[in-house]
Amino acid sequence: MSLFTRTTNELAARVDEFFDTIEIGVLIFKEGVKAYVNGDQDAFQTHLKKIDEHESKADKLHRGIENDMIVHSILPQQRSDIVKLLWQLDEIIDTAKSSLNEFYIEMPRIPASLVHDFVSLAEVSGNAAEELIPAARAFFREPHLVREKLIKVYFFEKETDKSSFSLKKKVFHDMSELTLAEKAHLRYITHHIESISDRAQDAADMLASMAIRQML
Amino acid sequence: MIILFLSSGLFLGWTLGANDAANIFGSAVGSRMLSFTRAAVIASIFVILGAVLQGSGASDTLGRLGSVNAIGGAFTVALAAGITVYMMTKAGLPVSTTQAIVGAIIGWNIFTNNAVDSASLTQIVSTWITGPIIGALFAYVLYHLIKVIRRRIKVHLLFYESYIRTGLLITGAFGAFSLGANNIANVMGVFVPSIPLGETDFGIFTLTGPQQLFFLGGIAIAAGIITYSKKVIQTLGNNLLELTPEAALVVVLAQALVLFIFSSAALSRLVAATGLPPIPLVPVSSSQVIVGAILGVGVYKGVRNINLKVLGSIASGWVTTPVAAGLLSFFLLFFVKNLFGIEVGHSINPPAASGEGMSIAMVIRYSIIFLLVIIASYLAYMVLSERKKTNRLKNSFYK
Repeated sequence: MSLFTRTTNELAARVDEFFDTIEIGVLIFKEGVKAYVNGDQDAFQTHLKKIDEHESKADKLHRGIENDMIVHSILPQQRSDIVKLLWQLDEIIDTAKSSLNEFYIEMPRIPASLVHDFVSLAEVSGNAAEELIPAARAFFREPHLVREKLIKVYFFEKETDKSSFSLKKKVFHDMSELTLAEKAHLRYITHHIESISDRAQDAADMLASMAIRQML
Repeated sequence: MIILFLSSGLFLGWTLGANDAANIFGSAVGSRMLSFTRAAVIASIFVILGAVLQGSGASDTLGRLGSVNAIGGAFTVALAAGITVYMMTKAGLPVSTTQAIVGAIIGWNIFTNNAVDSASLTQIVSTWITGPIIGALFAYVLYHLIKVIRRRIKVHLLFYESYIRTGLLITGAFGAFSLGANNIANVMGVFVPSIPLGETDFGIFTLTGPQQLFFLGGIAIAAGIITYSKKVIQTLGNNLLELTPEAALVVVLAQALVLFIFSSAALSRLVAATGLPPIPLVPVSSSQVIVGAILGVGVYKGVRNINLKVLGSIASGWVTTPVAAGLLSFFLLFFVKNLFGIEVGHSINPPAASGEGMSIAMVIRYSIIFLLVIIASYLAYMVLSERKKTNRLKNSFYK
């Protein structure tokens, strides 16, 4: 029985560590976008390196948790759902990392008039993902609180859509000085940043149904 | 020779172990919360302990229903019950060892011209109905309690799961103990009057004659658990409602409590000491109590996903099983006595002399009570289900 308790303790700690990693990864993403659009390349490079480390760590933790749950037959009935949830959370940090990598590889030119819009878009999109973490933590301790915590995720996802829409509209309608290729590139980058909140919404939907089942 | 006559009882014990252990550990093993080996070992030990330490109460009640006073009769009665259980299980019909043995004993009473003790019969039949109802109530309350505790203590899901796992082991052990205590009467009860064994001193403890028989019966139940219950768990599943581990814990605990209540002489004396009527010590069907308990959890969760056909088939089993076992017992006794010339028992309490036989009026009276209970339960179930549905719609997750 003592061995079993130790496994449970370790697993619970690892789940918490995984959530921490995702949360920090999202914060790094926001700071990374801010650094890039403000032209601070040193800070951007630092954030790029950090998010890469966090993404690898999240992958390792995710795989370790899944492995332990199978080996020790922990939560057999909910295991597939939990593993899928962790996978969806892992997707968030994957998307954040790949988003920063797009900036690094493609070096999009961000016009000064759009700096605020991009920072704001990254902020709300990241917020959606950030708000998901307390909801995911609540699922493990207080499933009845998941619903109210998810409201913020849905709110920020909608805000991201609005920000993205207005940014793209501004690019294509009001910025005639940009070439079509530049406009298309900015749209692509916008879409990438926006996709973080979409991943968060997918995870939120799953979390919501898991919480309902948990409460029954 | 005694072992040969006991073989039918041991067979009955084996079927009971194979089928009823699945009720205790089925959900836990089926959902891989517990390994089968660990569950089987615990169930086997505790079923024997329950049978030996607390098996006499329910057995005495069965003895009052019909004191089978020849070993050939006891053999035939247990065989009739065993065959009935086996055949009905094969045919996919709901069956209970308790109801089969009661029917078989009544068949013996009729064959040997003995009066049916209506008081004992009333006690037994009433628990067939009250057992599942009490099981449902216990399960409802326990499930509510467990949900409230879960909400209050805010324990991590992983730790909660480990507590549930430990709880499943403990309640499973308690369930096995109660199963042994209550249902050993079905397996060995009929042999107690016809095999008068003396006390045996084992040095550190002494076993009375009936306890020695119960020990043998307990071993037969344990053999059923070890050899066949895994197959039952794998093939049967829960055809009434999908159970979560915490629901499984509640269901097993509710079943164990009901079986314990109806087999504990100490508890019965305690209740009697408070001035209340003593709890009747009678064998109840563990499968049907389990169904009642599952229903209790189902009502708490909202009853949309309950297979109502199963409930109907249980009610039909209350009639079909004893009738089938009674008829089979009567005919088997006839053949055993006339074909093989084996003594199957004699009349000690003829119906006409004692005047205690079941009259038609009594049968009708109990049938009416039975129907009223069914209707009341159904109405309560409908009201609760509607309330639950309304509440759920009100508190819809997405507003």
